[in-house]
Amino acid sequence: MPSLPPTSISRPSRPLRPPIDRLVPPVPGEIHSFRFPAYLKRRLDNGLTVYTARLPGVPLVSVELVIPAGAQHDPPGRGGLGTLTASLLDEGTQGKNALEIAAYVEELGGYLATGADWDEGYLATGLLAQHRRQGLSLLAEVLTSPIFPEREIERLRRQRLAEILRRSYDPSSQADDRLTREIYRGTVYASSLLGDEASVSSLTKDEIESFYRSHYAASGSALIAVGDLDPEALLDEVEALFGGVAGWAPPPSPEIRPAPLPGINVHIVDRPGAAQTELRLGHVGVSRKDPDFIPLAVMNALLGGKFTSRINLNLRERHGYTYGASTRFVGRLGPGPFLAGAAVATESTGAAVREILSELARIRDEPVGEDELADTRSYLMGVFPYTVQTIGDLAKRLEILAVYGLPDDYYDGYVARMEAVTREDVQRVAQGHLDPDHLAVVAVGPAEVLEPQLAGLGTLQVWSRSEPAPAGG
Amino acid sequence: MPTNPDLRFSEHSLANGLRIIFHLDRSLPLVAVNLWYHVGSKNERPGRTGFAHLFEHMLFQGSEHIKTNQHFHYIQQVGGVANGSTWFDRTNYYETLPAHHLDLGLWLESDRMGFLLPAITAENLETQRVVVMNERRQRVDNQPYGAANERLHALLYPADHPYHWPVIGYMEDIAAATLEDVRSFFRTYYTPNNAVLTVAGDFDPDLALARIEDYFGDIPGGPPLPKVQPALPPLGGERVDELTDDVRMPRVYLGFRSPAYGHPTWYAADLLASAMTGGKSSLLYRDLVYDRQIAQDVGAYVDPSEAVATFGVIATARPGVTAETLSAALLEHVDRIATQPLPAADVERARNKVLTDYYSALQKLDTRADLFSQFQTYFNDPGGLEREVDIYRGLTSRDVLDYAAAYFAPDERVRISVVPRSAA
Repeated sequence: MPSLPPTSISRPSRPLRPPIDRLVPPVPGEIHSFRFPAYLKRRLDNGLTVYTARLPGVPLVSVELVIPAGAQHDPPGRGGLGTLTASLLDEGTQGKNALEIAAYVEELGGYLATGADWDEGYLATGLLAQHRRQGLSLLAEVLTSPIFPEREIERLRRQRLAEILRRSYDPSSQADDRLTREIYRGTVYASSLLGDEASVSSLTKDEIESFYRSHYAASGSALIAVGDLDPEALLDEVEALFGGVAGWAPPPSPEIRPAPLPGINVHIVDRPGAAQTELRLGHVGVSRKDPDFIPLAVMNALLGGKFTSRINLNLRERHGYTYGASTRFVGRLGPGPFLAGAAVATESTGAAVREILSELARIRDEPVGEDELADTRSYLMGVFPYTVQTIGDLAKRLEILAVYGLPDDYYDGYVARMEAVTREDVQRVAQGHLDPDHLAVVAVGPAEVLEPQLAGLGTLQVWSRSEPAPAGG
Repeated sequence: MPTNPDLRFSEHSLANGLRIIFHLDRSLPLVAVNLWYHVGSKNERPGRTGFAHLFEHMLFQGSEHIKTNQHFHYIQQVGGVANGSTWFDRTNYYETLPAHHLDLGLWLESDRMGFLLPAITAENLETQRVVVMNERRQRVDNQPYGAANERLHALLYPADHPYHWPVIGYMEDIAAATLEDVRSFFRTYYTPNNAVLTVAGDFDPDLALARIEDYFGDIPGGPPLPKVQPALPPLGGERVDELTDDVRMPRVYLGFRSPAYGHPTWYAADLLASAMTGGKSSLLYRDLVYDRQIAQDVGAYVDPSEAVATFGVIATARPGVTAETLSAALLEHVDRIATQPLPAADVERARNKVLTDYYSALQKLDTRADLFSQFQTYFNDPGGLEREVDIYRGLTSRDVLDYAAAYFAPDERVRISVVPRSAA
């Protein structure tokens, strides 16, 4: 690689500048303009939509396929089917076994990952730009000719059962899993993406192959290619490699309608002697496609989404209960959760819950201050360029357009829509989408210390660690 | 032709000893301000551990002209991101801002470099003390297997060696820190001559240098600081320990001392770590996780530390597999690596992975700024960043074998098992 000589900058000729005043923040310079990076979009005849953008800077490319084959399609009691099917795509094709697939891409310095989230299945590769074609061919092969070998099914099943066991001993995962189980009772979202011990132990090769055949098709899928590449040439390559993939329409997204909680339900997961308590509060939130998503993002940032949010400053800086507390709305095709979380000093758990509940009530009951709203809007608007620095950042943004069916110019108007959010909007979405009277509280820690602190909030249930039998064998 | 990352820079300095690196990149309207102070937990002493990190928290509590909690507020209200971190050898502070707010970063950083003491209060110290105690519980004490890494360092380095204790410190030492400790630590280590300032991104270098003189030029320098070069006698015998924890799958940790970061041999160790566990086709993953299925996961790393580097191997056993079985399998691999050259294909694969990871990390402006600060702080050589690629390109399986043969000696290793508290 040619070495670039260091630039030499001549001593400054003392540019004219106003004197500094340490008492006040400096006057900003001229705003440097920003536009969301240009990208090409083309829909192939079989229904596959291609998004591609050139982002030079480093000699890398990333190519990802997203397919409407997410875990939301798991049948009742068959948790883990969608994610296990996706994980098996790169564990053997008609032409290569699992190790050959891994070795092929890793010899090129790259990776290949397949998996599924609630909304989609994905196949992704990242590698040196000069190996782009090999990466694309491998993706096409893995998408169209997986063979789901018994040996690999059993291997991944054992690995997954061990992962489920590990999670059941990890306090943070225990808290997350207990919360979603409680707020999504009776729906597919109540399960873990991995499934549970019973479902994973019993998933069959037939079920996996049938899930693959009925969900992995071109129509409704997207291919996203970003990096040091020529978008026009990429489109041609994709057309040649993926134009022949079957194009029938996959099943529609299921309706996910959990019943609201009757009140505040407190769940303590007992970890005797734990050094700290993992705390979560939450309830069902909204779909990523909800028209309120942008005002909701502003409201959430102010409430608990940034370091200077009300909840973080309250719990961390004012009270010292925690190293950090935050809230978020998780975007999904169905109604994703609203979550508040922190790892808190056990003796402060009750106080921390009450502070969070009171912040939820306050942002519903009182209009936010004009200044804190202006600061929050300008934070989200100003930070936008920072969030599209890398190939992965930009690919993720394009994936959001594809999965949630957002308009092509969504990001061009993004900052302006943030700027238009008013105090009334914030209060309206807080009242519409936060419900401090109907939520689950989960505390993973020593029950005998937690119980007296949490009694009186609502119904209270104490769980011993759900103990799956040793896996494997 | 693929593009290579642009890693050009220029070097400057002020009369008070502050060293400055500029790196221009106008692809986005962003500017990264990154300050490294050459002080970390290495500068602490037994009984007073965790202080460098607690002190880092105090630097976000305001300074003479910035009120408590206003540091993050000023940055976030213009759309910036900020943080700091502490390591054995250094402490860094950084913010990435919309390009037209460069002066805001300079104002904030210069105020806490030059005017911190008036803002140090007992109340701020108490708040951050409990925040840090909760941080320690979250990262260490309430984490499954959380005690193992501390134990590894405690066994690998003698009690008076600064890598013996954890960066975050021991709970009783965090509890003991005083206001006077804060003040004297600041006076000793937070001098412009013990710092490197990197500005990277979309800015006018002439104007920026003038502004840096305005904001930092009147901060007095301090006496030069001696390099911490702790003595390190050989271990002279394997150290083995077993910890119990509230877990179900045993985990095994191996630790070896390696040449410090920056030494050519360090890069051979890094390449080896990647060959051992980077990806499904790596040596140990393929054997332990894929073929024999006795491990749930396996990872290897070498620390980028300044006095001596720690090479670690960590593997978690599958349910039903004992720590002894997994440990024996790991040692078999380590012994073979120390005596037989790696196949060229494994070296080549590891090299390609290290290079794509390196390129991938360089995409972020704040990472580049941080790396320039690092190379200037440790080596007075910001050009070292770009030369790393050539070092990796030049490594052979002979270099890897030479490293492993010299440093993977059984007498010089630490081995720790974490086993379930109550055998099920």
